[in-house]
Amino acid sequence: MSDILLELKDLKVSVRKDKSYLPIVKGVDIAVPKGEIVGLVGESGCGKSMSAKSIMGLLPSSARVEGSIFWHGKDETTDLTGLKEKELRKMCGPEISMIFQEPMTSLNPMMRIGDQVAEVLLVHKLVKNRNEAREKVICLLSEVGISEPELRYRSYPHEFSGGMRQRVMIAMAMICEPKLLIADEPTTALDVTIEAQILKLIRQMCTSHNMSAIIITHNMRVVSQLCDSVYVMYMGRIMERSSVRELFENPLHPYTKGLLSSIPKIGDNPEYLSTIPGNIPEAGKEAVGCEFCLRCSDDERKCFFERPGETKISEDHFVSCFCVEREGRIS
Amino acid sequence: MSDELIISAKNVTKSFSIGGNKHHIAVNDVSLDMYKGETLALVGESGCGKSTLAKLLMRLIKADSGEIIFDGIDISSLSEKYVRPYRKRMQMVFQDPASSLDPRMKVRDIIAEPLKVWKVCDSKEEMDDRVRELLELVDLKESALDRYPHQFSGGQKQRIGIARAIALNPDLIVCDESVSALDVSVQAQILNLLKRLKKELGLSCLFISHDLSVVNFIADRVCVMHDGRICEMAAKESIYSDPKSEYTKYLLDAISAS
Repeated sequence: MSDILLELKDLKVSVRKDKSYLPIVKGVDIAVPKGEIVGLVGESGCGKSMSAKSIMGLLPSSARVEGSIFWHGKDETTDLTGLKEKELRKMCGPEISMIFQEPMTSLNPMMRIGDQVAEVLLVHKLVKNRNEAREKVICLLSEVGISEPELRYRSYPHEFSGGMRQRVMIAMAMICEPKLLIADEPTTALDVTIEAQILKLIRQMCTSHNMSAIIITHNMRVVSQLCDSVYVMYMGRIMERSSVRELFENPLHPYTKGLLSSIPKIGDNPEYLSTIPGNIPEAGKEAVGCEFCLRCSDDERKCFFERPGETKISEDHFVSCFCVEREGRIS
Repeated sequence: MSDELIISAKNVTKSFSIGGNKHHIAVNDVSLDMYKGETLALVGESGCGKSTLAKLLMRLIKADSGEIIFDGIDISSLSEKYVRPYRKRMQMVFQDPASSLDPRMKVRDIIAEPLKVWKVCDSKEEMDDRVRELLELVDLKESALDRYPHQFSGGQKQRIGIARAIALNPDLIVCDESVSALDVSVQAQILNLLKRLKKELGLSCLFISHDLSVVNFIADRVCVMHDGRICEMAAKESIYSDPKSEYTKYLLDAISAS
């Protein structure tokens, strides 16, 4: 058995609009190794959330998923796309769980914090009775850094601050000790200081429970602080993938370079920031050549007619770009 | 940047009732000065009172005590009727571009609205020219005029919001987290736009943000707020290299962990 936990193979997601299907994710390969944190970066509309939601079968009914999602469980490999909803339900919670962007809207405002976390245990029948569930919840609440968990058990979500709510969300996702955690923009709604705490918490949880994670974000700082490897997505395709260190030290794809250089940096005072020219195109358009060619600073003509394949730069660095290929940086 | 003050706050305090006889002091005895043509950044975590302070400065809410002096006149005690002329000279760009534009109005009408309200244009043609001029200033195409907000991306919507804010040639604009909802590449475009406009139009800008790296790019001076008080105020160059207060150090640590 390999040490890969989850594998997306040529995953395509399209959404029905009127009578046709708009391609949102156009063939994506992602591998999540055991115990590692994988980052999925890109701008809004690039399909990063759609890819992640397809893993848990959370897509709207108008969406169509093609390709396969392999889950390498203890003794067997299953294709999640082939599972019935009931079977997939059994996976969500004990095996895979998810944290969403806005902690306020994903918690039930009418339910006590503790009961919400305990609900997961009771639904999956992982505990004998409520008391046992309560004990487990209190133990976990204190682990995610909520002080006085016995008292807080009876609080309602509105009594918590944003950071505390996100901690409850993490506790909820962790209570069944899943093997994979998917976090969709986990810190976008939070302050920088709270962001640092939450990222540290996710990292800690991953290490102590030997859990893998997929972090979806558009924030490069989050990636640099949290992830082991990164996939850069643009318009439903992977543009570049590499280990974190390599990506920040040696970005090769023009899109990655553009993204990294448009972040203002402390200690660096340019007159104007460099930007990626043009706007993000509307999702669902299929290009003949490279998806990025219209906004690319390189004037390679080939890009307009042909789609670049993945070029291997090193053991853990791959890029899909003709310009890189042309410059002969292939090892 | 000149030595002339555009707006200053003197010992301003504002508290809100939080049920019963309890009060939450959002802004606690704050004094600050802003000079003509400078960009002052207001930094702090959510709930530290930075948005309340901005609203107080713009006289959108009344202070409990203290003075707000705009161009030499204390506007905090003026009645609504006498404050009105000052409203024209202060404008705001909001955080969420989608919810700050009326979905049922065309871009043409959105940008022209302040011009209509203040009756600054004598004829329809003059107003139309001004709207086109504003559109050009924020790098939008003329074809945008007859479209509705939902037909634009987040960055373009924010450009429309900026065009509306500068329509009356204000002296001061307040940007309340105006770029935090945008993607990095779009954020860079909007930041460049704001910097350029400031230079071209000589605007003074109060820039509210929680992102210190963004502030580093745009601001001349930085004011750090914590718990309703200003805990540090300094030129940009010194605040990053030599932070004085504990809280500023804490903020800088949080982003430099990478």
